[in-house]
Amino acid sequence: MQRPQQNRYKRRRIYVRRKVCRFCADKTLVADYKQPELLKNFITERGKILPRRVTGTCAKHQRSLTNAIKKARIMALLPFTSGHAIE
Amino acid sequence: MKLHHYETMFLLHPDLSSEDRESAIEKFSNIIKDGSGEIVNIDPWPLRKLAYKVQKQTQGYYVVMDFGAPGDVIQELTRNFRLDEQVMKFMTTKLDDEFDAAEAAKKYASNNDAEAQTESDSAESEGKEE
Repeated sequence: MQRPQQNRYKRRRIYVRRKVCRFCADKTLVADYKQPELLKNFITERGKILPRRVTGTCAKHQRSLTNAIKKARIMALLPFTSGHAIE
Repeated sequence: MKLHHYETMFLLHPDLSSEDRESAIEKFSNIIKDGSGEIVNIDPWPLRKLAYKVQKQTQGYYVVMDFGAPGDVIQELTRNFRLDEQVMKFMTTKLDDEFDAAEAAKKYASNNDAEAQTESDSAESEGKEE
């Protein structure tokens, strides 16, 4: 029992750096569909929404972020997929 | 009648002249005013590239209107957006059930500072990621 725990600790120390929700860290920052440049930090190159485990966003802000990205897609501020994007 | 707080964004055709765009904005703001609505702010964006093609166009003019209006004005506004061929896309979002003109305007007075701040913030974090 002790060994795997020790291993996990070791791994954590080496690899995992705690990510903080950017919207909690900066209270003035709001996920707004009118700011596509901000939202671009939370989508992949293909235009998919990045999961919470990658960006570290908290659950509450991930929900509002998702809605903002979807609104921005509807208004052609963000691409639905890279296949239709203009480059 | 009770006013709700709305925000409408619409996308105008890139071939329109600045007078055409102004008259289009005036047309839609008049619809709101005629329905006893109150406009807080109108924000026309400069010509912008689109993320994907809309009606075979690669760019367009966005306009954001912040206003308070009774609910049935939105239906009239939407109907006119659909009829108007200059408008390529539109979306109305309800910001709040209650509309307080003074408070909404206050938000806009300080919004310029806040916007500048968030922009510098996002630029900063982008630099970090690189």
